[in-house]
Amino acid sequence: MGQKVILTIGTKKGLFVAQSSKSRGKFDLRGPFGRGIPVYASLVDTRGKRPTIYAGSCNPFFGMKVLKSNDLGKTFEETRSAPMFSKEDGRALVNIWSLETDGAEDLLAGVEPASLFRSRDRGDSWEMVPGISNHEHSRKWQPGAGGLCLHTILRDGGRTHIGISTGGHYLSEDGGKTFTASNKGIGVGFAPDAYPEFGQCVHKIAGHPKAPGRFYIQNHGGFPDRPGIGVLRTDDHGHTWRSIADGLPSDFGFPIVVHPHDPDTVYVVPLEPMTRTCPGGKPAVWRSENGGKSWKKLTKGFPKEETFFTVLRDGMDIDDLKSPALYFGTTTGQLWMGKDGGEKWKCLFEALPPINNVKVTVV
Amino acid sequence: MSVTIHLPTALRKYCDGHADVPVSAPTVGEALRELSRTQPSLYVNLCDETGKVRRHLNVFVNSDHMRDRKGLDTPLSDGDVVTILAAVSGG
Repeated sequence: MGQKVILTIGTKKGLFVAQSSKSRGKFDLRGPFGRGIPVYASLVDTRGKRPTIYAGSCNPFFGMKVLKSNDLGKTFEETRSAPMFSKEDGRALVNIWSLETDGAEDLLAGVEPASLFRSRDRGDSWEMVPGISNHEHSRKWQPGAGGLCLHTILRDGGRTHIGISTGGHYLSEDGGKTFTASNKGIGVGFAPDAYPEFGQCVHKIAGHPKAPGRFYIQNHGGFPDRPGIGVLRTDDHGHTWRSIADGLPSDFGFPIVVHPHDPDTVYVVPLEPMTRTCPGGKPAVWRSENGGKSWKKLTKGFPKEETFFTVLRDGMDIDDLKSPALYFGTTTGQLWMGKDGGEKWKCLFEALPPINNVKVTVV
Repeated sequence: MSVTIHLPTALRKYCDGHADVPVSAPTVGEALRELSRTQPSLYVNLCDETGKVRRHLNVFVNSDHMRDRKGLDTPLSDGDVVTILAAVSGG
């Protein structure tokens, strides 16, 4: 187990890096890097001799950049290129929504408009992954409020799971060559057909390596006429999904996170669907320790009322120390840490720019 | 036509620190296409994959915005200066 806890915090004004010892008593903040430019995706790649931090820097003036740091976020430089569509494709890159490792050396980038790119040289060059990017549904996917984004990339043995908003959950069982829309049980509240083949507004998907085949989805719920479509679980690699929202105050939300040592423990941040803030202005993270059968409200350390923040899809993560801490960032710029698996909350930083993305890694 | 592309500070790192890049082209569009060949790292900052000038950039020919002339088809004359500027936006 490493000695440093590294938080990468993607904000509207650039990337921040916070570092602590594993006691997590005090975090030192560096940044912003890519000053003034929004960051929606970050990654600490621990596969090499030295950790490498990557971040997507979504420059509205000059186009997308990928930032890279080899010194734990003290300095960053741009990689030689960002993902790009071919001119013949007709699409133009808008944003990078997810960065993930793949295999021994590759990087994957999920982008807007929803497509997947692979780099084999640490982000200096990128090639499109056609099986999902050129899927027969791809030109029918529609953007949600956040844009048409490929935001989740998960491996499940030889399978690959992709989350697209709005596109739904796509599954590859042939090493990423081909993908199938796999949304049985995932509903929508914004179309006449409650359970279409594809087009779901999946917000985030999470799994655990010790529970192959089991995944949790935070879907776009919050529709009174279509209850039970917001928080879901699969136990068959995503072929079928079922609601686990009973007991939550709302099935609308954005992030979903699984405990690093227990695949039965899952966290969500239920939001009131119109304001997209915690119900009643009373912040709470909700935890299930039995795979979604029941839920417990976690509030110790939060303001008791008059608090109206939003936690976005990539705004929450959990470290993998023996007693893990959760972290989430808000659209009003607070960075919260919940030690003991979310039992005790503390605001680490009170006034960062609006936060899109929080990732934690122990190195 | 021998013209000069004048760049904002933020883009000079993509062409060895130069503020001005000489090109030979009959129109604004051709000037940008020449940059795609001679300065590809700079070019991707100016235009997206479809060839469109990025939305928040403004392109002037001498004092005129290209949209007030013929856009990318605006003709260029010897000695013209094509100035790239970022729009004022944000919050």
